[in-house]
Amino acid sequence: MNWPKPGRIRDWIEERLELSALEEMGRHKRVPVHRHSIWYYMGGMTLFLFGLQVATGILLLLYYRPSAGEAFESVQFIMTQVPFGWLIRSIHSWSANLLVFVLFVHMFSVFFMKAYRRPREITWFSGVALLALTMAFGFSGYLLPWNTLAFFATQVGTEVAGAVPVVGHFMLKLLRGGEHVTGGTLTRFYGFHVAVLPATATLLLGLHLLLVQKHGMSVPPAIESEAKREGREARTMPFLPNFLLRDLIGWCVAIGILAALAAILPWELGTKADPFAPAPAGIRPEWYFCWMFQTLKLLPGHVLGIEGELIGIFGIGLAGLVWLLVPFLDPGTPGTGGRSRLFSAFGVLAILYMAIMTVWVYVAPGG
Amino acid sequence: MRRPAILPALLLLVPGAFAAEPTKPAKPPALESSCVTCHKDLDGELQQPAVMAAEDIHFLKGLGCNDCHGGNPQAGADGDLDAAHDPKKGWSGRPHRKDIPVFCAKCHADAAFMKRFDPKARVDQLQEYRTSVHGKKNAAGDERVAVCVDCHGVHGIRAVKDPRAKVYPANVADTCARCHNDAALMGHYFIEIGQVDAYKKSVHARALYDKGDMSAPTCNDCHGSHGAVPPGVESIAGVCGTCHTREATLFRDTEAKKGIDLSACIQCVMCHSNHAVLPPTDDMLGVGDKSTCTACHAAGEPGYQAAKEMGEDVVRLTGTLREATELLDRAEQAGMAVGPDRFALKKAGDQLVESKVLAHGFDLGRFKEASTEGIKAAEAGLTAGHRAFAELRFRRKGLALSLIVIAAVIAGLAFKVRQIERGGGR
Repeated sequence: MNWPKPGRIRDWIEERLELSALEEMGRHKRVPVHRHSIWYYMGGMTLFLFGLQVATGILLLLYYRPSAGEAFESVQFIMTQVPFGWLIRSIHSWSANLLVFVLFVHMFSVFFMKAYRRPREITWFSGVALLALTMAFGFSGYLLPWNTLAFFATQVGTEVAGAVPVVGHFMLKLLRGGEHVTGGTLTRFYGFHVAVLPATATLLLGLHLLLVQKHGMSVPPAIESEAKREGREARTMPFLPNFLLRDLIGWCVAIGILAALAAILPWELGTKADPFAPAPAGIRPEWYFCWMFQTLKLLPGHVLGIEGELIGIFGIGLAGLVWLLVPFLDPGTPGTGGRSRLFSAFGVLAILYMAIMTVWVYVAPGG
Repeated sequence: MRRPAILPALLLLVPGAFAAEPTKPAKPPALESSCVTCHKDLDGELQQPAVMAAEDIHFLKGLGCNDCHGGNPQAGADGDLDAAHDPKKGWSGRPHRKDIPVFCAKCHADAAFMKRFDPKARVDQLQEYRTSVHGKKNAAGDERVAVCVDCHGVHGIRAVKDPRAKVYPANVADTCARCHNDAALMGHYFIEIGQVDAYKKSVHARALYDKGDMSAPTCNDCHGSHGAVPPGVESIAGVCGTCHTREATLFRDTEAKKGIDLSACIQCVMCHSNHAVLPPTDDMLGVGDKSTCTACHAAGEPGYQAAKEMGEDVVRLTGTLREATELLDRAEQAGMAVGPDRFALKKAGDQLVESKVLAHGFDLGRFKEASTEGIKAAEAGLTAGHRAFAELRFRRKGLALSLIVIAAVIAGLAFKVRQIERGGGR
C-alpha cells in the first residue's frame, strides 16, 4: 500500500478546511507593547485555566458518581485508589480557585485600562457574564464531594437566593430541587456543573474570543494620547510566535504552582455530609463569595422596617448591574478627564471593599 | 369511705411521676387554706411546712395539707384551732416516725389513686421498702433507720427528675451520705463509713459528675432505691451485670461450660473494687506488678499462663493501635487522604474492647480469637500509614522532578523569545 506523502495530506486538509486563512490571520495579529502590556496575559491565562478545568473535569467524570449515597465515597476513591486521582482532583480544585482569582484580575485590569470603551462594550458584557458563570461553576462544584462544609454552605447559599423578593422561593426550589438540600440538589448541581454551565460558558467564551479577535487588543487611553503627543505609532509585537511564547511561559509557571499546591497541599475532602447533623461552627462559602456573605452578615435584622438581608441582596444586585453597565456609565473622555479618573477610583474602592470583607470573614472569631 | 388523706410524701416516690411539670403553674388553691395562712404566722418548724409548700410537688398537683394530715382547711382562720384540727375531720397531726412508710403508702400504694397523676406510677415502694435493711429494721421498731422523708424530704418535696430533688441522680450519693457518712449513727450497726467518698473517686462518679451522664450508676442503681440492701456475694455479678451485661453473660457461660461455681472463688469486686471502681487499665491483665490475676494464680498454673498471654496480647494490640493511629494522624496532617485506612483501623479498636470484655470469660481461646484479629487490623493500619508516607515521598520527588522539567521548558521558551526578538521580531 502506498502511503500519501505528508505534503499531500496537508494539501488534502487545506482543500477542505482552508486552515491557511487562520494561519494568515494569526500572522497578522499584533499585540500592543507598552508599560501595561503585562495585563494582556491575564486573558490567555484565564483561557488556559479554563481548558485545564475542562480536561481535569473530564477525567474526574470517569469515576465520580452524582448521588448522595455515592458522591463522597467516589471522591474518596479518586483521592486514595485511582492512580494520580489525588493529583487530578487537587489540580481541578486549586485551578478553579486560581481561575476565579485570575478572572478578577483580568476584569479589573480591563476596567482600569478602560478596555470596555466603544466598540468593545459587548466584549465587556460577555466577560462579566463569564465571571458570573465561573462563580456559578464554583458554587455548584463545591457541593459535588458531598462533604459537611459544602452541604451547609450550599444550604446557606441557596437560602440567600430564596430571600429574593417575588422569585426567591421559585429560585430556591429550582436550585435545591425541592424545599431542602438533598441528594436531589446534588444531582441537579452536577447537571449544572457538567452540562448547563459548560455549554453556556463555551458559547459565551466563543463570542468573547471572536470579539477580541475582531477588535484587537485595546490600548489604554493614556498610552494612546502619549503616542499621539510624541507623534509616533504605538509599538506592537506579533501574536505568533512572540506573544504566544510569552503566554506559554506564564502557563508553565501556572502548571508549576498548581503541581506544587497539589503535592504539598492536596485538596481536603473532609467528612461526609450528614443532613441530620447540626451545622458545624464557622460555616462560610468559598473565598470569592465571602465579601457578599460578610455584607449580608453585617446588616442588621431590619433597616427602616425592611429586612436587612433583602436590602443586602438588593444592594449586591444593584452593584452587579452597575458593574455590567460600566461602558455606558463611564463619563470621562478617554485619556485625561478628571471625571474618568474619579470613575477609576470607584474601581479601587470596589477592590478595597471586597478585600476587606473577605479578610474579615477569615480573621473573625470562628471564621 | 373517705379518700386517703395522706398523699404528700408519696407522689415523690414515683420516679418521674411529675417530670413534665409545667415551669410555673398557677398558684395552687391549697396554698390559700387556713392551714397555710395560720402556719405562716408561726415560728420555727411549725412555720416550715407552710413556707415550703409553695414548691412541693403535692401542692403543685392540687393536694393540700389535709390530704395527708386531715383536719378542716376551711376552718381555723378565725383562730379556732380546734375546728381546724378536728379529729372528726380526720385530723391525725404529725405521724410518728416509724409510721411514716405506711403513712405515705396510703396513697402511693393505691394504684387506682396514683393513676390519676401518672398512668405508669409505681405503687410497690412500701413492698420494696419492707425487703430492705431499712424497712426490716423499721418494722422491728428501730426509729433510727431511714424512712421516706429522710431521702425525699418532709415538706417541699420535689419530683425525682427535678435537679433540686434530694433523690435526683446527681444528689443521691450526698443524700445517702447524710447517714452513711455519720460515724456515730453507723456505729450502732457496725457499718463502716466512707463508701460515698470512695464512690466519688470511681469511674461511675466521673461519668455522672464530670460528663453529666445521668444514666451513670449511683448508690441506688446497685443497692436498690426503696429496697436498698447490700448486694450479697452471690449477687454481685448480677448487680454489675445489669449494666455490664456481656461481662456478666461471659462469666455465667464459663460457669455453665466448666460446671463450676465461679462466684465462689471470684467476684467483680475482687479485681475492680466495689465503691471505688477505678477505670480499668491494661496492666490489670497479665502477670505484672499491677496484675489482679496473680492475686489468685501462681506461676506454673494454667491460669497464670493464660493471664500472661492475655496481658501480652493486650499490650501488643494497644501499642500497635496507638502507633498506627499516630502514623495515620501525621500522614493526614501532611495532606494524605487516609479516611478509609482510619475507618479500617476502627476494627482494631473494636477488637481491643472485645478482647478486654472476653477476658471476663476466662477462656483463653475465645480471647485469642479477638485479640489476634485486632492485632492484624492494627498492623494493617500501621502498614497503611507507612504506605501513605511512601506515597508522600513519591509525590515530593515527583514534584521536584516536574518543577525541574517545567523550569527547563520555561528557560527554553525564554531563550526562544529572546532569540526571536533579537532577530527583529518586533
